Amino acid sequence: MLEAALSLMRLDILLPWILAMVLGVFIGAMPGLTATMGVALIVPLTFHMQPIAGLAMILGLSFTAIFAGDIPATFLRVPGTPASGAAVLDGYEMSKKGKGSLAIMIDLFCSTLGGLIGVILLITVSPTLAKFALKFTHFEYFWLGVLGLSMSAVITKESNVKGLISISGGLLISTIGIDPSTGFPRFTFNNLNLMGGINFIPVMIGLFGISEVLRAISSQSQDQLSGAAVLQRGRVKILDVFKVMGRNKRVIAQSSLIGTIIGALPGAGADIAAWVSYGVAKKTSKKPEAFGTGSEEGVVAPTTANNAALGGTWIPALVFGIPGDTITAIVLGAMLMYGLKPGPLVFQDNKILINQIFSVALISQVFLLILGFLGIKAFTWVFKFPKNVVLAGITIFSLVGAYAIRMNSFDVFMVVLFGIIGFFMEKVKVPLAPFILGLVLGPMIEDNLRIGLIKSDGRILPFLTRPISATFALILLALFLYEPAVLLVKKLRTKKAA
Amino acid sequence: MKRILVLALAIMAIVSIPLAAQAKYPNKPITIVCPWSSGGGTDRTARYVAEALSKELGVPVNVVNKTGGSGVIGHSEVLTAAPDGYTIVNVTFELSTFKYLGYANITPSMLIPLFQFNEDAAALSVKADSPYKNVKDLMDAIKAKPAGTFLFSGSTIASAWDLPRIKLLLAAGISPKSVKYIPTQGGAAPAITELLGGHVDVVTCSYPEIASQVDAGTVRTLATFSEERNPMFPQIPTLKEQGYNVVGGTWRGFALPLKTPDHIVKFLEDAFKKITDTKEFRDFMAKNQFGIKVRNSKDFSAFLDSEFAALEKVMDEAGYLKK
Repeated sequence: MLEAALSLMRLDILLPWILAMVLGVFIGAMPGLTATMGVALIVPLTFHMQPIAGLAMILGLSFTAIFAGDIPATFLRVPGTPASGAAVLDGYEMSKKGKGSLAIMIDLFCSTLGGLIGVILLITVSPTLAKFALKFTHFEYFWLGVLGLSMSAVITKESNVKGLISISGGLLISTIGIDPSTGFPRFTFNNLNLMGGINFIPVMIGLFGISEVLRAISSQSQDQLSGAAVLQRGRVKILDVFKVMGRNKRVIAQSSLIGTIIGALPGAGADIAAWVSYGVAKKTSKKPEAFGTGSEEGVVAPTTANNAALGGTWIPALVFGIPGDTITAIVLGAMLMYGLKPGPLVFQDNKILINQIFSVALISQVFLLILGFLGIKAFTWVFKFPKNVVLAGITIFSLVGAYAIRMNSFDVFMVVLFGIIGFFMEKVKVPLAPFILGLVLGPMIEDNLRIGLIKSDGRILPFLTRPISATFALILLALFLYEPAVLLVKKLRTKKAA
Repeated sequence: MKRILVLALAIMAIVSIPLAAQAKYPNKPITIVCPWSSGGGTDRTARYVAEALSKELGVPVNVVNKTGGSGVIGHSEVLTAAPDGYTIVNVTFELSTFKYLGYANITPSMLIPLFQFNEDAAALSVKADSPYKNVKDLMDAIKAKPAGTFLFSGSTIASAWDLPRIKLLLAAGISPKSVKYIPTQGGAAPAITELLGGHVDVVTCSYPEIASQVDAGTVRTLATFSEERNPMFPQIPTLKEQGYNVVGGTWRGFALPLKTPDHIVKFLEDAFKKITDTKEFRDFMAKNQFGIKVRNSKDFSAFLDSEFAALEKVMDEAGYLKK
C-alpha cells in the first residue's frame, strides 16, 4: 500500500490530479453542475494518460465536488450538487445566525472524515458490503425509498399537514414523463420536454435558491445577505470545529456508515444518503427540536454522509464490476479506453492498480481539506460585493447552471417557475425540503413498487417476507409507533396514579 | 474623402454578404446532437467522431447532449434543426420505436439517414449456476413451466435489448406474455446487477457489456443475436446455429434534417467514409468493444426503412404498440 502511494508521487500524476480537484471545487460550487457532469467532462482528457492518473482525476474531482456543493448551500441556500440538498437545512440556518463560517468549516472537516471512513470501509469490508448490496432488488429499494420519504415527516418543522402538502406536490411532479414500467407517457400533453420528465436539479435550484433571492429582493429591510455576516464575524477557530466534532462523534460514525452502505447500493446514491442520515440523526438526537434551526448535528450528519457515500459507490464497482452510481458507471466505461477490461477480474488480477486506487482515495482526503479550505476562502470573496450584485450573480449562475444540465432552455424555465412557487410556499409556511424529497424519492418508490409487483405476480408478500425488506418494514413501524406508544404509556400511568 | 470611404465600405459590406453566404461548406462550427448522456457509450463514439470530423473538415465540431424521455428529446432535433448541415444528429436504434410507442411522430422518412458506423448484436445470458446450457434448454424450460416463471431483463421497455428477446420468444413459438420483463434504467448494467443478485433469470444485452462477468465465471452467455459469430468473441454461438432464425440488437449512426442540400449530404457522407476507413477508427471501436458496421446514406436509408416496417409486428406482439 505504501509502495502504491509512493508510486503516485510523480508530477504527471499529481498535477492533473490536483488540477481536477480544483476544478471539482468550482463545479461543485456552481449550481446545476454536478459531480457526474464534472467527471464526464474530464474523462475524455484522461484517455491519453496512464490509467491511474485518469482515475485519480475522477476520484479527486468527485470528492471536492460533493463537498463544494455544500458551500453555496450553506451560504446562499443554493445546493451546488444534488447531494447538498440536505446540507441546506441547518447549514443555511447557521449562516443566518452569522455562524456560516463555522458551519462550512464543520462541513469541511466532516466531509473529509466521512470521506475517509467511507474509503477505509471500501478498503476493508468491500466484499461483504458488495454481497450485501447485491441482495437489494426492487422490494428492498421500495422500502429504502419509503424510509427516505418518511424522513420528510422528520424534517418538517411546521405542521405535518403542510409537510404532506409539500411532499404530495413533489410526488405529483415526479410522475410526469415516460412511465418506466409500461413506457406510457404521463401528463406530457404531447410536449417533448414534459416527456423527459421534470429534472429535479432545476426544481431544487429554483425552490431553494431563486425563492431566497426573491425573498431578499422583496424584503423591505436593507440588511445584508445572511452569508455576509461571515466576513464580520472574522475567523473560525479550528479548536471550535474540533469541539463540535468531538461532541458529535456518534453522529459522524453513524452517518459515515449509513452513507457508505447507501452509496454501495447500485440503486441509491449520495443524495439519498444525506437525507436518510439527516433523518436518522434527528430521530436519535437528544435535541431533535434544534434541527432545522441551525443545529450542529443537522450540519454534521448530511455532510458526513454524502462524502462517505462516494467511497461506497466504488464497492460494487471494484468487487463485481458493476457501477454503484452514475460516476462509477462513467469510470467503468472510461476503463475500456485505458485498455482495462472493467469487471470482477480486473482488480483481482491487478493488485497494484487497486492499491493505487485506494491510495488515491485516501490521499485525496488530505487534498480535499486543503483545497476545500481555499475554495471556501475564494467563495466568501463573493460577499465583498454589494447585495444587489450578489443576488444578480446567484440568479445568473443558477440559470446558466440549469441550462448546462442538458442544454435545454426548458430547464431554465423550470428554475424560474419553481423559484416563484418556492417563494409563495414559504409565504404560506409550507416547507420546501419535503417537496424535493418527494420529487427525488417518488420515482424510486413507484418504480420499485410496481416492478416488484410485476415480479411477484401482484402479491405484496415478498415486500414483507424477504429478510432485508422485513427489517426495513419493522424499522418504519418502530419509527411511526414509537411516539404514540410513549404517549399511550404515559397516559395509562397517569390514569393508574389517579 | 470620408464619404467615399464610407461608400466603399458599404459596397464592400453589401457585396460580402452573398459571398459569405455562398462560402464553402463548412465555414462555422458544426454541432453533433447526442440523445444520450455524457460519459455513456453513444456519447463516447459521438465525441470520437466529432474530433475526427473536426480534423477532416477544419472547423470545430461540438457534441451537445440533449438527453431525456428515453432519447426522444435528442432524436427530435432532427425534425426541428435547420437543414444547413451544421446540426448532425447521432441516431440510435430507439429512433425506430418512438412512433410505435406513441412518444413522437418520427419515422425514417422524416429525416436523411447520413451514415451508419456501428452495430452491436444482443446476446442471451444466464447465471453460470443456472441449469441451461443452450438456447433450446432455456426455451423448453420456459414452455414447460407455468407462464410468468421466467424473469428477463436487459434495459428499458421496447429497447434494443428488449425487442430481440421478443423476436426470439416468437421464433420459439412462445407468447412473449408468458415471461416477465423487468425494465431497468440506464443501460444494461442494472440488469446485469439483477442477474448477479439472482433476481432475474435471463439478461439480453450486448456481449461486451457482460463479457467480464463471463470471464469471471459468474455468467454464461448462450447465444448472440447476430448473422454469424463475431470475430472478437468467436466462442459464442449464434442463435441461427442453434436453430432460431433471429437477429437483433442496436446500431448507431448519424442523420440530417430532411431538406439538407444534396451536396452537403454528399460532402459529409464522404467525410464519414474517410473517418471510418482509418485505422484509428477501427482501433477506437475495438478498444471500446463496439462492433463496426458501415452503411452509406443509401444503404442506411434502406436498412432503416425495412427495420422500421418489421418492428411494427414485434411491437404489437409485445403489447407495446400504441394504436
